Amino acid sequence: MRDLRLLPSSPVVLALGAVALLAYALFGASPYGLRVLTVAGVYALAAMGFQIVFGAGGALSLAHGAFFGLGAYVTGILGTAAGVGFAVTFPLSLLVPLAVAVAVGMPVLRLESHYFALATLGIAQVLLLLAVNLPDLTGGANGIAGVPGVVPGLWAAGDAVPRGLPLAAVVWGLVAVGGVAAARLLSGRWGRALALVRDDPLTAATLGLDVGRLRLGAFAVSALYGGAAGALAAHTQRVVSPEVLEFPVMVSVLTIAMVGGRGRVAGAVIGAVLLLHVPEWFRFLERSYLIVYGAALLLVTVLAPHGLMGVVERLFPPRPRPLPPAKEPAAHLYPAVPGPVLAVEGLRIAFGGVVAVDGVSLTAAAGEIVGIIGPNGSGKTTLINLISGVERAEAGVVRLGGVDMSGRRPDRMAAAGLSRSFQSAILPDHATVLEAVADARLSLDPSVTVARAHARAVVERMGLAEVMTQPCAGLPAAVRRRVDLARAVARRPRVLLLDEPAAGLGEDEKAALAGQIRRLAGDGMAVVVVEHDMGFLLPLAGRLVALDQGRVVAVGTPSAVVAHPAVRDAYLGGSL
Amino acid sequence: MRRLSCVSALLAALAVVPAAAETLPVLVPLTGFLSLEGTSQRNGAVLAVSQAPASLAVKAEVVDTGTSPEAAATALERAVSRGTPPAVAASMLGTQMLAMLPLAQDYKVPLVTVSGTASITERGNPWVFRFFPGDAVTKTAHARYVVEELHKTRPALIYQTTAYGQSGKAHLEQAFAALGAPLVFSEGVDPAAKDLLPVLTKALETKPDVLVLHLHSAPTALAVRTAAAAGVALPIVAGSAMHQPSTAALLEPAELKGVCAETAASPVSGGTPAMEAFTAAYRTAFNAEPDAFAVGQYDGMRMVLDAMAKGAQTPEAVRAALASGRYEGLAMTYHSDGTGNMAHSAVIVCYDGASRVPAVVKRYDGPAK
Repeated sequence: MRDLRLLPSSPVVLALGAVALLAYALFGASPYGLRVLTVAGVYALAAMGFQIVFGAGGALSLAHGAFFGLGAYVTGILGTAAGVGFAVTFPLSLLVPLAVAVAVGMPVLRLESHYFALATLGIAQVLLLLAVNLPDLTGGANGIAGVPGVVPGLWAAGDAVPRGLPLAAVVWGLVAVGGVAAARLLSGRWGRALALVRDDPLTAATLGLDVGRLRLGAFAVSALYGGAAGALAAHTQRVVSPEVLEFPVMVSVLTIAMVGGRGRVAGAVIGAVLLLHVPEWFRFLERSYLIVYGAALLLVTVLAPHGLMGVVERLFPPRPRPLPPAKEPAAHLYPAVPGPVLAVEGLRIAFGGVVAVDGVSLTAAAGEIVGIIGPNGSGKTTLINLISGVERAEAGVVRLGGVDMSGRRPDRMAAAGLSRSFQSAILPDHATVLEAVADARLSLDPSVTVARAHARAVVERMGLAEVMTQPCAGLPAAVRRRVDLARAVARRPRVLLLDEPAAGLGEDEKAALAGQIRRLAGDGMAVVVVEHDMGFLLPLAGRLVALDQGRVVAVGTPSAVVAHPAVRDAYLGGSL
Repeated sequence: MRRLSCVSALLAALAVVPAAAETLPVLVPLTGFLSLEGTSQRNGAVLAVSQAPASLAVKAEVVDTGTSPEAAATALERAVSRGTPPAVAASMLGTQMLAMLPLAQDYKVPLVTVSGTASITERGNPWVFRFFPGDAVTKTAHARYVVEELHKTRPALIYQTTAYGQSGKAHLEQAFAALGAPLVFSEGVDPAAKDLLPVLTKALETKPDVLVLHLHSAPTALAVRTAAAAGVALPIVAGSAMHQPSTAALLEPAELKGVCAETAASPVSGGTPAMEAFTAAYRTAFNAEPDAFAVGQYDGMRMVLDAMAKGAQTPEAVRAALASGRYEGLAMTYHSDGTGNMAHSAVIVCYDGASRVPAVVKRYDGPAK
């Protein structure tokens, strides 16, 4: 049996592409051809960084061109004014953009997508203004001329790597190093976590992933690539001017990423090679080459919405990733504490003038199944959101294992042993069931391989072995709910919050689900179930908490709560 | 004997077959913010090549360099990839020239440009020749006209935050100070600025007696229009962009009344029969009005062709001819000052408010060689 999720790109196809490029460089390219190839390498490196932050991380960073320019200016200033060589300028051209990315990333990465894009554009504009208006440092609008070539060593006084094949070899050597590093990053645990954050940051957080740190990491790594590309651009052009900080550089990188294939490292290379060469092929058209260039881009975008690498992967499908042997994840060794594992006291939150949860308290002990009932709008899901950290309470306390976790982020709650499911199972469409469940282990396991092995054991235990290699897109609603539950369970939490797990299930499926929940409780989990379906919940829960208009109106055994007058008035209406 | 005759006939036939035309690359910005000026440059070069002496087989190959240094350097690499041409008509954009200079030196190919900005001729590169007066010439003329002819002593300067603008600002500041009329105001504006009233208002608050502009084409037109709309009665003396017919076309003649500009030449203003013939030919060929950039590039390429016609067969020979020769062009007499600066004269043109064609009111010639 094979897993449906494929390796990022076929190694054979990539190797053939690399050999073709090498053969062209060695035997087919004129000095002019080598120059275009060298510039393509520079942009390939820049686009790789953009693939990380935008392609994998989903953050439209318009500061990427600015990092490119910053790297170029660091190389230009140090290479000319300080006379230092590549061994000094290149690392610093990476580090300065990295430092800027970390400094500005922390505030701007909190912004939502389009505001983030605008904020990063602002960074680029500030750097451009500084470059133009600090002529003593940057040469102003004229820029810095006479940037030395790539001079190995600490000082720029020696012989530079000659233009043509040697310089192309240096640039493409660094492209290869950057490409391997990016591919390893993106196919590893970090890259998978980043993709999860891109697809659904809320779910990622509830699966224990620190969304802010991942995004900051991607932003910082992209700055390294941008700085490296800028440094090489300065050595190639031998001039650094404000044009390297202007928006066209950003547009070029974005276009390369989209044409090559978003999120694909090889896409950055193929996109850069193509986009740098196409205008050259049509130079004889004078300014009309832009029409041909634009038409070609439009054609690629329409015919290959997943980029050229998408086409390559469709024509030459890479081999599927083999399934790992199942390995049951070890239970976490949480310190034993007296009393309930989950204790909620006086939680309150209001949205505008509506108090959604008003002074709610409840407890759940290890091995206990607690049901939460209430009519629509009574605050059940909001309560789950408050406990899991998705919403921040205005007042009240949430204790997990006796530790006050009030106001903690969802990933912190998850790390402390709390898992949850959602009313609508949110699963990554492109991933298989196994991969979706493995995503839940990314913050716990040392590698993707281990996460998949653990996920396989959970998937089989939850009765999902038959659909393990199927993509989540197109799964029936009932199966999606079970996959969502498997994700929550895969983390081996001590508290499990389930939001309407039986909605849309048939009677047999409900019975199977109830059996699974009982087994989880039997393993020592505290399970809190929000449910409308009384036929499902009443036999399952050991205790019920009834909510109405955000307040607890009854607590006790299912029979006692169902019989409670306030519950009957508010929710059941005497129908039971 | 018969076979010998055939060989002789064949050799004779080969001798009369014209040699393959020598290509003169024209690497200029046809797109981007300098497309208007770049097109003038292109047209000047292409017209010169089309009027090459009959003894020469030459053709122009035009390549757009956009506005990035990288594109210009790549274009030059492309141009020399099929053999080094005798000379290259090179971009007027200073940063592009700076990127092309090291390549020109490596490939030993003369660059003929009308770039008036940036320190392109101050880098000790013997392969660059500028057929447009640099800021040292034009900005001195600019300041001298303001002080010596208009008798103004409180100039307010609005300049562009580009290489062109910053270079001009530095020279103007120095020139006005040397003439005893230091700037009372100076501020840079971005080429993309769409409202110049704020900077104009700030300038007027310093109580200047003349507005000095050093802006690109569209911003110059915007500044003049804004001043006219605001009822500013001060004289305006602008940079060379104002002399361009394409800039004047953006304004009503009434808005241009009293506006002057420095430039290397103003072909539409007439003058010599040769200049008028050039203007007529230019209009016929391109259906457009020529400006000083077109004339400068035309003169530069004509000097190259003249050298080739006189036997300069190699790039080095062309370089030597440009470096040591003297050429009577349409706009002025060109000769190198030893660093590649070929143009040493500037003129001041003024609009009368009745038409968009300015009149040359003052000429400033540099020292004769």
